[in-house]
Amino acid sequence: MNAGLIKKTRVALLLLFVFVVIGLLIYSRIMAYSLAPTLEPADFSKYAWYEIPFYYLWDYISHAWICLLFAFTAAGLVYEFIPKEVITKYMGSGKVTGYAIGAGLAPFFTVCSCTMVPLFAGILYTGAGIGPAITFLLMAPAANILTILITGEFLSWEIAVVRIVVSLVTAVLAGIIISRTSWGKAIEKEHQISRGTSTAQQKIEIVKPPLDERLISTLKFGGFLAKQILPYFIIGLIVVGYVTAYIPETIVESYLTGVAGVLLASVIGGPLYTPTLVEIVLGRSLLQLGMSRAALLSWLMGQPYDIPNMMAVSRIVRWKVVLNYAFIAWVCSVSFGLLYGLTMGSL
Amino acid sequence: MKEVKVEVIGPEPACVRCQTAKKVVEKAAEKLKQIGLNIKVEKVNIISKEIIGRYGVLVSPAIAIDGVVKVMGRVPSEEEIGKLIKDAAEKGV
Repeated sequence: MNAGLIKKTRVALLLLFVFVVIGLLIYSRIMAYSLAPTLEPADFSKYAWYEIPFYYLWDYISHAWICLLFAFTAAGLVYEFIPKEVITKYMGSGKVTGYAIGAGLAPFFTVCSCTMVPLFAGILYTGAGIGPAITFLLMAPAANILTILITGEFLSWEIAVVRIVVSLVTAVLAGIIISRTSWGKAIEKEHQISRGTSTAQQKIEIVKPPLDERLISTLKFGGFLAKQILPYFIIGLIVVGYVTAYIPETIVESYLTGVAGVLLASVIGGPLYTPTLVEIVLGRSLLQLGMSRAALLSWLMGQPYDIPNMMAVSRIVRWKVVLNYAFIAWVCSVSFGLLYGLTMGSL
Repeated sequence: MKEVKVEVIGPEPACVRCQTAKKVVEKAAEKLKQIGLNIKVEKVNIISKEIIGRYGVLVSPAIAIDGVVKVMGRVPSEEEIGKLIKDAAEKGV
């Protein structure tokens, strides 16, 4: 067999895999097969304590594997095929483009959390400045493709869309507010490096590998993400299984509803946030146990004050900036939670 | 023989994929050194004014050969990066 034929066969097989994954998702939609788990909290009462993790995990994995497979493949595809040089080219060009890219495009670049802080620094240093940098930092975890797909499938697409919109408003608002303050401007000035954008472009000549290699690295990256996230996801599921089984509905109903519920959810959502999709699973369980949808939204908006991220960012800019953007994000999470609850009639 | 400078650009401490990228580059460089090429591999910090000033906003891991970013946001295969280094070496002769 010649090399060309082998290459074509590889491309065909890899594309087939991608289409099968997409097909599975569509098929499950048509057959109305639930991709989210089906156990209700009440079902747990019939199991002994040592049986709970097995039933809970099985319930999740048997239903959610199609959805997870699709999410990881999609994340790999988007990450591999999005032209990354766009960000280099336009990020230095000005405020408005900076905000637009920070909010709209950046989430697609950052399925992997370790790229986030370097990009934050890059945006801050190259001229777009502190506003777009913060917008990017707050938007990236809230709207990355994995989170959105899993929120949509496990919770509801309505809440997934609301989550994107309110995160967008929060991120842009926090960016604009901080870039207007005097200390924000001071930090921006301190970090800015003057350079011509034209010189930088000459130094970037991205080499594109052939399609079969790109498809392989798509799957490799999807696999890499799965390897990073799934162990924590599974441990998280076991914990959530117990929470679901043992926390009485009366407690959730009395503490996680109403105005106080939104406040409480917004406060515990932050420290508990881990970039491992567990927050979605836990949110789902709490919703089943009686948490209001308003509190759920505030809960899901907790990620801006993800603590490891704050630590990393504080090494670049001062804590003052970090605490302020966290505060703005918190105010927004409470306000949007209440607003959503009032409009949807689920406070 | 001209020296080819390969920079692996990633955060400090290096993330998992940047470490993989560095290993791949080093392996490729080892092989090329055996056929007589002069290659210097360096790990540089993406969060530094010097690097951002030189290259702009980058997606890690990135690989620059002789001061030109060739790979960004992905881990290349050993053959691919080997070929890129070899091309750079031949261009410089």
